[in-house]
Amino acid sequence: MSLITETTARPAGKLRVTRSRRNVAWTGAGALIVVVVLALLPYIVYSGTTSIIVQAFIVLTLASMWNLLAGYAGLVSVGQQVFVGLGAYFVLILAIHGTSPFAALPVAVIACAVAALPLWWLVSRLRSGYFAIATWVLAATVMLIIERFSSIGGGTGMPLPGLSGLSSVLLTAYTYWAGLAVTVVALATMYLLLRGRLGLVLTAIRDDEVAARSSGARVGLARLLVFVVAGAGCGAAGAVLAISQLQVQPGAVFSVQWTAEMAFATIIGGLGTIEGPIIGTAVYMVLQQTLASYNAWYLIILGLVAIIIALWSRRGLWGLVDEHLHFRLFPVGYWLWPEDVSRPSRLLSRLRRSGA
Amino acid sequence: MTSPLLELDGVTKRFGRVVIAEDLSLAVGTGDTVGIVGPNGAGKTSLFGLISGDLAPGGGEVRFAGRTVTKLDAAARCRLGIGRTYQVPRPFGDMTVFENLLVAAQQGGGLRRRASYTAAAAALERAGISGQANVPAERLGLLQRKRLELARALATQPTLLLLDEVAGGLTDPEVAQLVEIVRGVNAEGTAVIWIEHVVRALTPVVSRLICLTSGKFVGDGDPATVLADPAVREVFLGSEVTAALAGGAPEAPAAGPPDGAAGGERSEP
Repeated sequence: MSLITETTARPAGKLRVTRSRRNVAWTGAGALIVVVVLALLPYIVYSGTTSIIVQAFIVLTLASMWNLLAGYAGLVSVGQQVFVGLGAYFVLILAIHGTSPFAALPVAVIACAVAALPLWWLVSRLRSGYFAIATWVLAATVMLIIERFSSIGGGTGMPLPGLSGLSSVLLTAYTYWAGLAVTVVALATMYLLLRGRLGLVLTAIRDDEVAARSSGARVGLARLLVFVVAGAGCGAAGAVLAISQLQVQPGAVFSVQWTAEMAFATIIGGLGTIEGPIIGTAVYMVLQQTLASYNAWYLIILGLVAIIIALWSRRGLWGLVDEHLHFRLFPVGYWLWPEDVSRPSRLLSRLRRSGA
Repeated sequence: MTSPLLELDGVTKRFGRVVIAEDLSLAVGTGDTVGIVGPNGAGKTSLFGLISGDLAPGGGEVRFAGRTVTKLDAAARCRLGIGRTYQVPRPFGDMTVFENLLVAAQQGGGLRRRASYTAAAAALERAGISGQANVPAERLGLLQRKRLELARALATQPTLLLLDEVAGGLTDPEVAQLVEIVRGVNAEGTAVIWIEHVVRALTPVVSRLICLTSGKFVGDGDPATVLADPAVREVFLGSEVTAALAGGAPEAPAAGPPDGAAGGERSEP
């Protein structure tokens, strides 16, 4: 992992560019430890706990993808559930034909990426509100088409075959690991994308599309790429959902509620930051677990939290951290060091004090 | 190649009944310096839009570096070597100044990592904003935004640089600095087309002046000749051009109201 600073030198001068003002090696180490601890969790906790965490994995993956779309590419999609549903159905179809659902998962992800291409062709020319509505309509249409096929359960859906050979303990653990793997790969993919050339281009497009175009940015291509990646990511979450629910119901997997969840987690966490969806998902899961038994009050409180955060901190909870501490867990920026500085650590403390 | 760097051939553009460009033909050679003057709403910024690809022409052809680029979008034309600035600076606000330039160097200039860092740093230095490299662009003041605008266009490694009123709102010493920067860029072989209300900024740089009004060229040639042309003088009628001719005394219109028509061209009916 090249999470640490990346240095380059101009042969003539001392041009030095790093990806963060601070050394973030410890973030990488911390992330690794978190992943290892999470991977060992099925050995430690009861299956009730891991199944809640699987839900969190699904929400986090979805939120990260929605953040990529809305927070970076400026594509506010209300139809991402189409990929959740397609991911679930691809797993189901493969499982009916004898593939293990776990082996079907990566295939479903690729299939969702491919399915994103024609869907993008349908909605790519629309912007803002029109794009949002069109994606929603598209999701509903895809659901209605799938419901026509009785061989995959028609309008009522069907249980997922191919998992009966596993003991419930193993099944829970495998499901958990599949969810963890999907989340880690989704976050890593997103981080690497945003760290590379695409990240700069997307941020530029978000800030000023006209200027981005006349600076040479291939706006359409960048958006297509994001839509495909987000489609694959949401499809992966859908595949995990199918496996964790042991059944696929069209009304459930194609529910617009998935988009509501991803948007909620992203917006309260902080749109346009990699950290935002993580923090947002944590808040969402805590609220859901503590308030689930209060029915209507649960939704009312959820709504109030969203309103308060939207009013109080427009850049979400992570926005508050970033504003006050100037701190990023996943740095994607570029920092140009002045030429006369040989020891960044000292300059760093000076800069921090002067608040430059 | 003997053909000119940029060629406009009968380019026409209308928004409804408003004529933005009427049968405009123009040839600009490699390393040329051309100034464009004209009253508000003459279609100057639109002309840049037609050259840079922000506007699609209704008729005619645009050729650049031996290729027909009429159907290419702004991004493709930028990658071929057309760099432009906007009259009202359009920085990428959430990004630092350095990152703004990196986008331009990587996308427009087609440069990879290290090469793009070097190019961005060079553009920073050239535009005199090295000190602001790591400052978010939204925190810059007007002068620095204008410099960033210029630096970003330079970072795309243009062979043709389109400057849209980069001197507007600047003080005399600032204009002098800007003129030096543009001269330096041109000395390295980059052709410059410069729209400016501040004619005294243009005259030390450009070797050719074009007057545009109502989407038509009314004067084209040596700056002094064009400015002395009765047709051109009639267009301006007592505005800053005549004042500039009289000896470049500080005149009010130089820092006058922004060219409203040109600034809002993209949203015009």
